[in-house]
Amino acid sequence: MTQHRTQIKIVGEILDTAMQEIDEQEGTTVTHIIRKANISHGRLSTILSNLVSQGLLEQVNSKRSCRYKISPSGREFLVAYKTFREFSDDFGLSI
Amino acid sequence: MEFFLEIILNLIGLLVGIVIGTISYIGFKNTGSPTLFRLSIAFFAIGVGFGILAAGFILDDFIFKTGHINKGISTLGVISQVVGYWFIAFSHTIRTFFPRSRYFRSIGAIPLFLVSFNYIENIFRAISFILLVYGAIETMISYVQGRKKTTLFVGIGLSLLAFGEFIGWYSFVFPETILYAASIIIKIGGLVSVGIPVSKIPLRKISFDENL
Repeated sequence: MTQHRTQIKIVGEILDTAMQEIDEQEGTTVTHIIRKANISHGRLSTILSNLVSQGLLEQVNSKRSCRYKISPSGREFLVAYKTFREFSDDFGLSI
Repeated sequence: MEFFLEIILNLIGLLVGIVIGTISYIGFKNTGSPTLFRLSIAFFAIGVGFGILAAGFILDDFIFKTGHINKGISTLGVISQVVGYWFIAFSHTIRTFFPRSRYFRSIGAIPLFLVSFNYIENIFRAISFILLVYGAIETMISYVQGRKKTTLFVGIGLSLLAFGEFIGWYSFVFPETILYAASIIIKIGGLVSVGIPVSKIPLRKISFDENL
């Protein structure tokens, strides 16, 4: 049975992907996030622009493609997200 | 003795409810998760419910000295707890009011026939029992899927709270027996078990760190 992913869970997976592929200069590509976070391009574009406007992701100017890297606020959010994801799991709930 | 046990139980309930509610609220403020918001309302309501009952017992023990908690206070406390249990059940995406399993449905219905419907408090206790059983079943299902030990503790805790409530009703039928004290001790065990996940939260890491 497929499990429904909440918006916050998708955001967490996007930030986690950006965190894992940490490259201070380059950041990570949209294609890579799509593959890792398993999300459509259309939906991802909206979420990415929201995350950039909220300061959780930073857009990196690159000659080849549009890239994103996690900001310090994004890392803080990710730590909080992982902590409380565990907490929700303890109660048998999904964050 | 019964009053002393009741006061201990309700103070532990107040503490566990407020601590879990506060952590859930911190989680909601940090992540914006609706699940954590519902969990914070649930545990604040449960904690406040236990607090109201504790206040009722303490007031009677030290001031009124009637030997019985005021019905209005106890009903208010039980209603507050029911609201909390309802939010836990709602968080498990409650689909029907009664559990699906025929076995648990029959167990859930028995106490409804044992207690008098004249008292609103008893009706709310019956509702809280059903919600607790539902929450315990859903949490156990989550444990089977994820095999997390802390989820098992929460499931056992909710089950013990429901079982304590169930045993408590039998003390209406068989008063002056050990059943009442047993139900309170079982409930205390349940509350402690539900509070175990809190010990895993690294509270210092929740505050934002410049060096992250």
